[in-house]
Amino acid sequence: MAPKDDVIYDAQREHQLLRATLENMAQGVAMYDGDHRLVTWNEKFVEYLEMPEEFLGTDRTFSDYIRYIGARGEFGENADIEVELAKRLKVLSTAHSFERTRPDGTVLEVRRDPVPGGGFIAIYTDITERKRAEKLLLEAKESAESASKVKSAFLANMSHELRTPLNAIIGYSELLAEDASDRGDEPALKDLQKIQAAGKHLLGLINDILDLSKIEAGRMDLYLERISLARLVDEVKTIVDPMVHKNDNELVIDCPADIGQLNTDFTKLKQCLINLISNAAKFTSKGTVSLRVSRLADGGGPSQIKFEIVDSGIGMTEEQIGRLFKAFTQADSSTTRNFGGTGLGLTITKHFCTMMGGSIEVTSKPGEGSTFTVVLPDQADEQRDEKEHPVGLPAATAGRTSSAINILVVDDDLAVHDVLAQTLSKEGYALTHARDGAEALEIMRKTPPDIVTLDVMMPKVDGWSVLGIMKSEPELEHIPVIMLTIVDDRNLGFSLGASEFMTKPIDRNKLIAFLRKLAPASKDVVVLIVDDDADVREIVSETVEGVGMRPATAVNGRAALQWLEHNPRPDLILLDLMMPEVDGFEFLARIRENPDYDGVPVVVLTAKELSEAERSFLAERTLLVLSKSAQPIGALGAALSAIAARGRAEHPHPHERQP
Amino acid sequence: MKILLVEDNEMNRDMLSRRLSRNGYEIVIAVDGQDGVDKALAEKPQLILMDMSLPVIDGWEATRRIKADATTKHIPVIALTAHAMAQDKEKALAAGCDDFDTKPVDLPRLVGKIKALLPGD
Repeated sequence: MAPKDDVIYDAQREHQLLRATLENMAQGVAMYDGDHRLVTWNEKFVEYLEMPEEFLGTDRTFSDYIRYIGARGEFGENADIEVELAKRLKVLSTAHSFERTRPDGTVLEVRRDPVPGGGFIAIYTDITERKRAEKLLLEAKESAESASKVKSAFLANMSHELRTPLNAIIGYSELLAEDASDRGDEPALKDLQKIQAAGKHLLGLINDILDLSKIEAGRMDLYLERISLARLVDEVKTIVDPMVHKNDNELVIDCPADIGQLNTDFTKLKQCLINLISNAAKFTSKGTVSLRVSRLADGGGPSQIKFEIVDSGIGMTEEQIGRLFKAFTQADSSTTRNFGGTGLGLTITKHFCTMMGGSIEVTSKPGEGSTFTVVLPDQADEQRDEKEHPVGLPAATAGRTSSAINILVVDDDLAVHDVLAQTLSKEGYALTHARDGAEALEIMRKTPPDIVTLDVMMPKVDGWSVLGIMKSEPELEHIPVIMLTIVDDRNLGFSLGASEFMTKPIDRNKLIAFLRKLAPASKDVVVLIVDDDADVREIVSETVEGVGMRPATAVNGRAALQWLEHNPRPDLILLDLMMPEVDGFEFLARIRENPDYDGVPVVVLTAKELSEAERSFLAERTLLVLSKSAQPIGALGAALSAIAARGRAEHPHPHERQP
Repeated sequence: MKILLVEDNEMNRDMLSRRLSRNGYEIVIAVDGQDGVDKALAEKPQLILMDMSLPVIDGWEATRRIKADATTKHIPVIALTAHAMAQDKEKALAAGCDDFDTKPVDLPRLVGKIKALLPGD
C-alpha cells in the first residue's frame, strides 16, 4: 500500500473505532463543531430524544435542534422556547450538567463539555430508574421514621394505661397484706407480698419502656441543677444496698469527701448509677461491686466527674459487649431466663449519659468481671460564683449609668422582682417593674423598654396574651421578650415571637448572658450566613441588610471554614444544619475547637426536627436555635440586631483578629 | 384528724381512703377539682391530699383557689402526681402546694409527710 493509502486506511480505521465506541455506549452522545453544527451522534441520542432521521444528517445547528424539540413540547406545553434556548446558549462555553424530566416522565441527565479546538459534546444519560429508586428509598425512610414516631407515641400512652390497673393491683395487695398482718395470717401475708413484689417489678419494667419511648420520641427533657455528689452517692447507696447484698456481694464505695458538686440532672444520673450497680449485682455472686467516684482535672477546661462501677462477676465476651447498649437485646438471649430484666436499663443509661453531655464505656472479660465507666462534664462551671450574689432586699431600680439598658420585669411574684433587681442592677441594667400583664402593657406603651422578661401565669392578663398583644403592635413588636416560666412550652413561645426561653428557677448567669445577647444593636456588624439553599441565603442576607448589618455567605460548612480563614471574625454566624460536604454539626464542632473563633455567637436556623442529643449538642455551642418552620425568616430582624450586639460588647474591635 | 382526699380515680380513692382510715384518719372525699374546693370550704379539713390531673378544674387550679381563700389558705396541701418529674414538683409547689408525693403511694412515706405537716398529730 502507498503511504497515502496508509493514512486513509488509518483514518478510516479510527473512524470505525469511534463509531463502534459511540454506538456501544449506554448514553446518548451528540457532538457539535465550533459553529454549533451537529457533526456526530449515536443511536441512543436518536432514541432518547426521539429524533426523526430526516432531521439528523443535514446541516442543523444546536439552536435548530433545541427549537425543534421545544416545538414538539419537550420542555412542557407552556415553555418559552427562546428562553429555554438562551438559557442553554449562555452556559455552552463551560462544562455543565443538569437533570431534565421529559414529557413521558423519563428523566435525562444532560452533560455538556466544550472540546479543545471549538465545539462541544453533549452526553445524555437515562437516570429514570435511579430517580425512581431514590424516591422509593426516601419514601421508605420517611414512612419508617413516621412509624417509629407513632410507635413511640403509642408506647408513651400505653404505658400510662398499663400503670393505672397495675397501681390497683399493687395497692390492693398492700391493703390486703396489712389486713393479713393485723390478723396474724402468715401464709396469706406471704402470698400477698409475692403479688406485691411481682407488681412492683412489672411497674419498673413499664417505667423503663416509658422512658425509652420518651427518649425515642425526643420528649425527654434535662433538668440541670447543682448537686452535691456526696448526697447523690448516699441516696444511691440506700437504694442499691439490698440489691447488692441479695447475692451475698459486698458493696464498696470509694468517693473522696471533698468531691464537691456537679451541675447535671440529678434524677437521671441517679437512675444511671442505680441501673449500673443493680446490673453489676445481678451478674455477680459472692463477690464485690464497687462504685468509684473521682474528679478529672482537665488542663484549664471544665472539670469532669468519673463514675466507675466495677464488679467481680461473670463478665462478657467482645460480642456480648457489642450488643450491650441496644434496646431489647441482652448479652445473651438466655440471660433473660437466668437473670431477668428487659435489657432496657443499659440502653436508657446510655441515652441519659449522652443527654447529660457525657459518655459511657465498658471493659470486660468472661469470668473476670466488668467495669462500666461514666464520664460527665460539669455542665456550667461559671455558675459557682452565684454564691457571691446573696439574695437580700430589693435593690434600687436604676442602673449605674443613664444609658443603661432598660429591662421591664413582668411577674406577679414579688420574690422574682427581688431576685432580678439584686442580680441585674449589679450588672448595670435599669429595671422597671410590672405586677401584671395590664400594667406591663401600659408601661411599655409609655416608655418602651429594651427588653422584657415575662412571666406566663399571672392574674388578669397572662404572659401569653401580653406576648401576643406585643407582637401585634408595631411599636412593641421589635422588643425582645424573655419568657420566665415554670411551664416549659418553648414551641408556643417561639411561634409567638419570643426571642429566648428560660425556665424557672431562674439561672441568673444564663439570664445575664441572654440580656447581653439581646441588647440593642450597633452598626457595622458582619453576619456570616451558612446555608446550601440559595433562596435562604438571599432572604436572610436581605434581612441582615435590613437591620443595618453586612451579610457574608457560604454555601456549606467547608466554604464557611474557608471564609473564616480569610476574613476577620464575624459578629454572628447564622447556620443551617443539613448541608453537603461539611454539615452544621461538624462546622460547629470545628469552630468550637479553634480559639480564634471563641465567643463568636452562632444562631442555628433549622427546619430539622432535633433529637434530644442534637439539641444538647447545639445548646452547648450556640446561643439560640430557631426553627425555620415555626418562625418566618423575615421576623428575625429584631433578634438578629440584638444578638450581634453581644459580640460587639464583648469584643470591642470585632474586625481585628484576636491574637 | 380530718383529711380531704381529692382524687377522680375510684380505685385509687378507695385504696388510699381505706389505708388512711386504718391509720386513724377521718377521710372526706372529693371527686374533682371543683368538688375539692367546695369540700375544703365546707368541711375545713386539717390537710388536703390533691391529685393533680382532675376533671372540671385541675389540681393546680384547685390548689390556687384554696390558697387564695382566706378561710382555707392555712390548710396544708400535699400534691399527688403520677410522674416523678422535677417539673411536676415545681409546678405543684408554685401553685401553692406545701409538699409533693408521687403515685403509686408509698404509705409510710406519705404518712411521714402528713405527720410533718400536722405537728399536733
